[in-house]
Amino acid sequence: MNRSRVAVGATLAMVAAIAVVLTIFPRLFPDEYEWNLPDGMPLPVVPADNPMSDAKVVLGRQLFYDTRLSVNGVTSCGTCHAQELAFTDGLAQAVGATGEVHPRGSMTLVNAAYSGRLTWANHLLDTLEVQALTPMFGEQPIEMGMAGREASILEILRNDEHYRHAFPATFAGDSDPYSILNTVRALASFVRTIVSFDSPYDRYLRGDNEALTTGQVRGMNLFFSERLECFHCHGGFNFTDSSTHSDTLVQSVGFHNNGLYNIDGSGLYPPDNTGLYDLTGERRDMGRFKAPTLRNIAVTAPYMHDGSIATLPEVIDHYERGGRMIEEGPYAGDGSRNPYRSEFVRGFDLTPRERADLLAFLDALTDESVLQDPSLSVPSSE
Amino acid sequence: MAGSCMAVKCDPEMSVTSRSAAWCVSLVTLALGSCSAPRQSVEIPFELTFGGQQLSCEAPAGDISLTDLRFYVHDVRLVTRDGAENPVELLADALWQTEQIALLDFENGKGSCTNGTPQTNTVIRGSAPAEEYVGLRFQIGVPEPLNHENPLIAAAPLNYSVMHWHWSTGYKFLRAGIANDTDGFWIHLGSSRCEGTASDVTGCRSGNRPRIELEPYLPGTNRVEVDLLDLVDGIDLADGTPSDCSSGPAETACRNPFDALGINLSTGASVGGSHVFQVGTP
Repeated sequence: MNRSRVAVGATLAMVAAIAVVLTIFPRLFPDEYEWNLPDGMPLPVVPADNPMSDAKVVLGRQLFYDTRLSVNGVTSCGTCHAQELAFTDGLAQAVGATGEVHPRGSMTLVNAAYSGRLTWANHLLDTLEVQALTPMFGEQPIEMGMAGREASILEILRNDEHYRHAFPATFAGDSDPYSILNTVRALASFVRTIVSFDSPYDRYLRGDNEALTTGQVRGMNLFFSERLECFHCHGGFNFTDSSTHSDTLVQSVGFHNNGLYNIDGSGLYPPDNTGLYDLTGERRDMGRFKAPTLRNIAVTAPYMHDGSIATLPEVIDHYERGGRMIEEGPYAGDGSRNPYRSEFVRGFDLTPRERADLLAFLDALTDESVLQDPSLSVPSSE
Repeated sequence: MAGSCMAVKCDPEMSVTSRSAAWCVSLVTLALGSCSAPRQSVEIPFELTFGGQQLSCEAPAGDISLTDLRFYVHDVRLVTRDGAENPVELLADALWQTEQIALLDFENGKGSCTNGTPQTNTVIRGSAPAEEYVGLRFQIGVPEPLNHENPLIAAAPLNYSVMHWHWSTGYKFLRAGIANDTDGFWIHLGSSRCEGTASDVTGCRSGNRPRIELEPYLPGTNRVEVDLLDLVDGIDLADGTPSDCSSGPAETACRNPFDALGINLSTGASVGGSHVFQVGTP
């Protein structure tokens, strides 16, 4: 083997090694976008065809709060995802533009960028760009009600004083920048900036021993104990096992039946809300929903996919019993005996002090900064 | 593409290896084959009925009114007298048809059809080798992997939001709805039990694409009759609650319409015997 060939081989190997490193650790080659994240926090996953930019984020914020993107001009994304409620709406079940009540509640958008799967129970939905299409164009239920009305959205983008300049400036180089594709790209970019890592709990982790009370520390230890098992589903940096980030090598996705229902003792959930089963038809998926992040959980009442538990103390009751007993009515049944119930929902006994400590810890997950960050708020009208 | 008489030149540079030479020869054969066989244009008109009566957005059939009917058709073939099949090459028109797929649209946004579009399309247009045909076969739906392309960048007719299920990463193959004064029913047919993720759909366990076989069907003489009575047969329109079927494998409201379309609801396989699509005579 001659020397030049060795040199070529070595160069190729080096190029390949760099390519592998860049693929595995994209942070070494960041785009120019500056994330507002604490040191050491991995970046969210951003689709290669929609890199972050300040212009997209600003445009996405305008679109997010624009009620003209709904069929009757009354509903924007922000209607169901209000900042002060950690981007939820305080309702048990969401209500669409036309008044249709949804089977499920509005989920928080906080740290959606770190969510490996979006919405309550869909193993397919992994990007915010695709997810944005469902509230806009979905028909069952109607959320913003724009199915078949793409043309009227494009008309707004082309004629609105702000958008008609912002779209070409943001998507420079596109032959036609006014598109639904660019609309969802901007929306997704904005939603990716709704990040929360500045709760008292985060500050405690960063070394501020005063950030948590002693009761909250005891509650934290309970939360992460094998006795309570909370962290199995609500674990990790985002308090959900369906978390992902740009350094993730293995994607973790979890859906769980937590024993809310057991209609007729046969394991069934209400027919309009069967969880993952709705998509797969597999009996084992009955009642399996995503464990949502617990960040800001104290401000996102009511709880569960259908809002059927009003307060956090009642949520603790539910898990303490290991499932919910519904004594009568069409959904009667003992959820703790649901055959599809997660093995981590087994029940436990708490002393009154432990209960108070656990609730105090959940309070420590509230990040006031994300609830007030002016860059995430309703933009002032120009 | 293959329907036109293509001039294929075999570049001598290209033919240095046996593989590219063989490829070149087969291209020439293909081109010559389609040049030499005379072709006929094919028009396949569809007609909407309800129990044999005419039905449209503006003309109810008795107390039944139409709220929607749109569906994709692909894999169109004509059957010769000796049982052979010839594919119908669809005429791409940048609106209703690509070479692979056609969208039929019976709603015009008027009368009982709210939220629709004024344009309608009730005829599939294309060409086939000139022969005597006695049968017609086609599939309802969008073929894989077109079904998982991004509808925001797809060409017409695969770019309409009403014909896409964004949350299930595929198209609505067929959407149909009827109503009476107090109640209604609609069906959105599409693949279900899909796997992978939106970024990388690996397939759907329930294809839910009905294969329709109509015989005798004489091109130029017969039509395809779409009878919605058969689709909603067994649905209780008097119970005061709108029913709907969105192709979930466990949806009870899908049982009857899937039977009528000739699809096994559990497996998504086309089992034939659809009586929604029938041969219509003028």
